[in-house]
Amino acid sequence: MKMIRNRFGSLSRVSVQLQRHVQQMSTNAAVAPAEGTTINEFRTAVSNPGEHSAVQVAKFYTIPAEQKKQIFGGGGLPKQYEQQIKTFTEACLMVRNPALELLQYIKDTDLTKPVVRYVLYGENGTGKTLTMAHVLHYGALNDYVLVHVPWAPNWMKRPKEASNAAGQEGMIDLPFDAAAWLVHFKTQNSQLLQRLQLKTSKEYVWSKRESTPAGSTLIELVEHGIARIKYASETTAALIAELKQLSTAGQCKVMVAIDGFNAFFHPVTRIFSDNKQRVTPDQVTLTQPFLDITNYDWPNGVCILSVDKIAMTEGHMDSYMPRYLLGQEGFEHLDPFVPIHVDNYTDKEFHSYISYYLDRHWINKTPQGFEEQLKFMSNKNPYALMQLVRAL
Amino acid sequence: MSAGLTRLWERLPLKKQAAQSSIRVFSNQEQQQQPEVEDDEEFRVLSLRTVKQQFQRRQQVRRDPITPPRTGRMAVDQDWTAVWPGPRSFHPASVPLPLRQGFTERGAAAPSKFANAELMKIPNFLHLTPPAIRQQCEVIKRFCTPWPKGLETEAKWQRHFPVEVTTTDFCHSLPTIRNPEARRVTISLKLSDLKFDSHARDKFLRLVGDRYNKDTDILTFVTDRCPQKKQNYDYALYLLTACYHESFVTEPWEATKSEADMEVYLFERNQSKLSAEGILNWNAKEGAPKVAPSKSYANCVEQLINEGENEYNLGKYKEEVKKMLNIA
Repeated sequence: MKMIRNRFGSLSRVSVQLQRHVQQMSTNAAVAPAEGTTINEFRTAVSNPGEHSAVQVAKFYTIPAEQKKQIFGGGGLPKQYEQQIKTFTEACLMVRNPALELLQYIKDTDLTKPVVRYVLYGENGTGKTLTMAHVLHYGALNDYVLVHVPWAPNWMKRPKEASNAAGQEGMIDLPFDAAAWLVHFKTQNSQLLQRLQLKTSKEYVWSKRESTPAGSTLIELVEHGIARIKYASETTAALIAELKQLSTAGQCKVMVAIDGFNAFFHPVTRIFSDNKQRVTPDQVTLTQPFLDITNYDWPNGVCILSVDKIAMTEGHMDSYMPRYLLGQEGFEHLDPFVPIHVDNYTDKEFHSYISYYLDRHWINKTPQGFEEQLKFMSNKNPYALMQLVRAL
Repeated sequence: MSAGLTRLWERLPLKKQAAQSSIRVFSNQEQQQQPEVEDDEEFRVLSLRTVKQQFQRRQQVRRDPITPPRTGRMAVDQDWTAVWPGPRSFHPASVPLPLRQGFTERGAAAPSKFANAELMKIPNFLHLTPPAIRQQCEVIKRFCTPWPKGLETEAKWQRHFPVEVTTTDFCHSLPTIRNPEARRVTISLKLSDLKFDSHARDKFLRLVGDRYNKDTDILTFVTDRCPQKKQNYDYALYLLTACYHESFVTEPWEATKSEADMEVYLFERNQSKLSAEGILNWNAKEGAPKVAPSKSYANCVEQLINEGENEYNLGKYKEEVKKMLNIA
């Protein structure tokens, strides 16, 4: 029996190699091979995050390629992890305790109650973003409208373009970033929005000639924002206000996921106003709608926010704790929230990850005690481990 | 006379044949007449070489014969307090004890008490023997008054006399009996003996500043600005009274104390309370009694802000939030 399994394993490995070869040859590598057949002790075949439980802890599950493209097409996975996914030709996520805890909370949520804010926090590189990705996958599969900001500090630190807002005095618009976010929103939710047929509650007048009448679908609203980049920021605000109303009315449920949420409460941004002064985040038009939707005053939804040291700038990065990173204002905005600590790997998770790397032939040389050495050098920090074993 | 004779000899026209005899005579004369030359004041011989007799003999120091130590003559039942009435450094002849102290080479006995600097260096309590203390207590007993009734235990006397006054008297053998340090008065009391409301307590602590020790809960006033002890004592009590009553006065400007002026975070006056109430009273009917956030939640938010974040406080906060929001 064991022999058969071994042979089966080696066969499957050959097939994986073949498939990889094929992928490299083929120019459009959109469809990843279904690798449900290779079930090692560090993998799980359960690819629906809703069914994950403590049994699957420290095991890898695969996100199907089309779902990955839909959810994370516009960002949401760290860049280096994205590269790793490309190299390994499969989008694998490890089932970890913070995500399981969060999923459990979300499943048990009473949706008639005001939205509960969950705040992921932890040291650099412990997997806050990937925990969020895991939960996002759950949300996408369970008909949540995703309001996902892959990395909020991008808006405050390196916006594509900043211009003065038309209607509001002293406010700054980030039209390209807003449009990019609308595109991201559309890719994530287009199927669901088609199905739900959500309608706007009031007429939005953009200019003398352009307006979105009341009763048009949200898709139309979003598409208008994408087409008319000038109004993208206002469209974002309108869209989020509409979503809040719709979920209050019970027509949809909304999952808000904002990575680097503390960027909204950073003292200054790197955006300059007309008089060459740095503006504060609350002077950016994109800030207000996202602060609005993270408020507690609407039901039928769930908020997953992460606070990150690297969302801050020099001098504000002393601690990874949420109160410090959010500051007084941010804490008051979110309180009461449920903090969820994302920690370094446990021994089991670490071993599982090493097995995964070995399986992918990513680690080739395995001298005596290499695992111990890696454990020692990385301190079981996921990002540090990825850096240690990375390609040159 | 002999000197004149010599000169006579020298003045004589010298004959070679007589030279021998003359020299002989001179040497003979010198031997016989040397003491006489010293006595002569008119003519003194310059002696270039030191002469042994010129050294003066060192004077012998006269010492009394050493008397044996008086410990040998002490009676066994003598009154020791008379021998050693006050504090004094060790004296071997007065202490009838075979004491030894000090370090010598290995195997040898420690140096005896005579001429022993080690024993003199260390403080001794030979004047504080139990009989001496008893004797002195007997003497000062007639100045004592009976212990007041109702102050038998420490708890009792601390309740009746919460203020502790410390002064110092100095006693010198000087022309003046004054000492500038004697005017200093220290009064101390436990702050828990005073009754405050929260505002008054806060204000009182601000008024007294570092005179209050938070760890021991003791308030201390030290006064030395008046020349007399009595005046300083009165002043200290005045300070205490004035601070206490002033702390109950609410000035009109105190109402303008904003959140930024708060020295501690109070749940009651912050946004957190409004948020928590908003969530707890979500969709509540008009006129329904308001649900207030629990005391433990308020405490843990205060603790989180006031003590600063750590895993423990944050974990506690998480538990309380979960309890309040009914999450798993």
